Amino acid sequence: MRQFGTILKFELKGYFKNKIFVGITVFLVLVIAVSMFLPNIFSSIQLEKSPGADEQHPVLLIYAEDAALSSLVKQYFDKAFPDYQVKIASGSLDEIRQQIAAGQAECAFAMDSASSYTYYVNNLSMYDTNTAIADTVLLDVYRFTAMTNQGIPPEQAESILSVPIDSKTVSLGKDQMKNFFYTYLMILALYIAILLYGQMVATNVATEKSSRAMELLITSAKPTSMMFGKVLASCLAGLIQLIAVFGTALLCYQINSSAWGSNELIASLFHIPVSLFIYLLVFFTLGFLIYAFLYGAIGSTASKLEDINTSVMPITFLFLAAFMIVIFSMTSGNVDTVLMKVCSFIPFTSPIAMFTRICMSTVPWYEITASIAILIVSTVAVGVFAAKIYRVGVLLYGTPPKIGSILKAIFRHR
Amino acid sequence: MILELKNIDKSFGEKKVLQGVSFSVEGGKAFGLLGRNGAGKTTTIRILMDVFPPNAGEVLLDGKPIDYDKIGFGYLPEERGLYPKKVVFDQLVYFAALKGMRHKAAAKAVDAWLERLDMKEYRNKRLDTLSKGNQQKIQLITALAHDPKIVILDEPFSGLDPVNAQLLKDVVKEQIAKGKIVLFSSHQMSYIEEFCDSIAIINAGKIALSGDLRAIKRTYVRDRLVVNTENPAPIRTDFGASCTVRENGSLLIQMKSPEEKTAVMKQLIEKYDVDEIKVFEPSLNDIFVEYAGRQV
Repeated sequence: MRQFGTILKFELKGYFKNKIFVGITVFLVLVIAVSMFLPNIFSSIQLEKSPGADEQHPVLLIYAEDAALSSLVKQYFDKAFPDYQVKIASGSLDEIRQQIAAGQAECAFAMDSASSYTYYVNNLSMYDTNTAIADTVLLDVYRFTAMTNQGIPPEQAESILSVPIDSKTVSLGKDQMKNFFYTYLMILALYIAILLYGQMVATNVATEKSSRAMELLITSAKPTSMMFGKVLASCLAGLIQLIAVFGTALLCYQINSSAWGSNELIASLFHIPVSLFIYLLVFFTLGFLIYAFLYGAIGSTASKLEDINTSVMPITFLFLAAFMIVIFSMTSGNVDTVLMKVCSFIPFTSPIAMFTRICMSTVPWYEITASIAILIVSTVAVGVFAAKIYRVGVLLYGTPPKIGSILKAIFRHR
Repeated sequence: MILELKNIDKSFGEKKVLQGVSFSVEGGKAFGLLGRNGAGKTTTIRILMDVFPPNAGEVLLDGKPIDYDKIGFGYLPEERGLYPKKVVFDQLVYFAALKGMRHKAAAKAVDAWLERLDMKEYRNKRLDTLSKGNQQKIQLITALAHDPKIVILDEPFSGLDPVNAQLLKDVVKEQIAKGKIVLFSSHQMSYIEEFCDSIAIINAGKIALSGDLRAIKRTYVRDRLVVNTENPAPIRTDFGASCTVRENGSLLIQMKSPEEKTAVMKQLIEKYDVDEIKVFEPSLNDIFVEYAGRQV
């Protein structure tokens, strides 16, 4: 046990003395801190700019042969397009086209009648909603005119057309819209951390092997102590890094919470229920460990650092597949598909699959308990198995051995 | 303190690496484990240190199965290597702590050894900034800092200059004087001959020869004389075919039997101008070539 403690301390110290590790952590903390201050920074920039900002709005032209039509449309468009300077075009259609091409105007509506138009724009953006807005407005205008023509007083027509629909949504389970963002963020953090640290563990083991420090290590310490010490150290380092980054985010958010006030996305992120954080911690730790053990075992079979990248490929693909399944079901809006349910009990996919389901759906407690129990048992089993591979793997030099020959060697050595 | 290996068998897959390997090493004496490349020396050492278990046979200390949790081994592997990017002191303390020392005691021992081996100035340097010989001295500290009862040195002299080799010899002699079990593995026969009281030669996974080195030498028939002289010509003429010239220029005279020794010596002293006469004993090198070179 003391040996394990010695290894854990030494490995952890190694991480904190590693310039790249410290550099990445500091960089992430800085980026997070700066982005949390962004609303304050923006608002101070905007304050300076605010006078005359109106002139920055792009020009929207209205063209109609009938002057009455164009002024009627302008009257409504002024209200409907607050981010544009709505102007009535003076020249011909060709001139309007030239103006748009030259960038003097952004777009133009050439009205054939009150219910028919052509929309001119230089580059049609994916997110251009102008025609949709115009359609709604023109429909209103058309209906309004039709109603007043039928003798309905304008006020009454107005109130008929703009009757507000009062609605409320009560979500009895989870609100996916609210949870999507932070679930996605946490899954992504888990994904990146596992791949990054897994690779680090593999490299760490392979470096010891290639520098032949292994010859001494294997005769000084038990393989199980070595494996668990190394992997737990990397897990702790990862957790500390995550806590540093999320802690900074939380702290800076508290300072700037008033500036962020109206942003629901960000607010949802900082009001994650405590229970979810505990689940995150549990799934993060277990998921991290089970993969790190695999990476460590793979690292022990490589005798050169160059071999690692190809050796770890199967694990990386396994995890990538799990990640893709989860992300696809998240975006499809149904996280309780059969595939997701199965994945949330398989040890290698459950850390992210079950966690996603807990975040975005309502999962019975016994399913969660079963999933965590399976994960704990398999993590320990994978750990012990990895230590066995390690014991055999570290003494093999030359080309990376095949899985079959490793298994044979393990059973040979009891 | 006696360390014994009894009938150790080990195979990797189909390949039998060790077959019935037995030898014993006494405390306070140095033991030389010899063998050609691939003969099974490293496997023997690894089994001795419990890196993997043997298929059959046992390792005993004072007649009882060895308790690896209590017995500290000091090991200098043939394939040298520590953490190249880490500070010398830190990793030495780490390895001493892995062997069960408390941090404070480990730090103290490491400092004492750095001083002893004249390496104090490198204490806070990264290992890869040191020369190869100095790295080897650092590696030696990992084998000795925790004051192990059993010290295993695999090719300890390779790569050392004469001054450092002398330093290492002194250190090894100290360890032997402390009553420790010191096991050497080396191809440099002169060092083995200088230190080791007993040897074992492994050939193709089997012990080809083992025992007290002087006794082994005594088993060779003492029927040859080595003669050093300034003027070899008359001796060669008189002794004819029974006199040959050795590589170093001395003469080797083959007698009919060992009993002739006194008479022949007397004859040589009286008749010729000789500087030195002694009975020929094979060197360890000769013995090694004879036993380790045999095809199995």
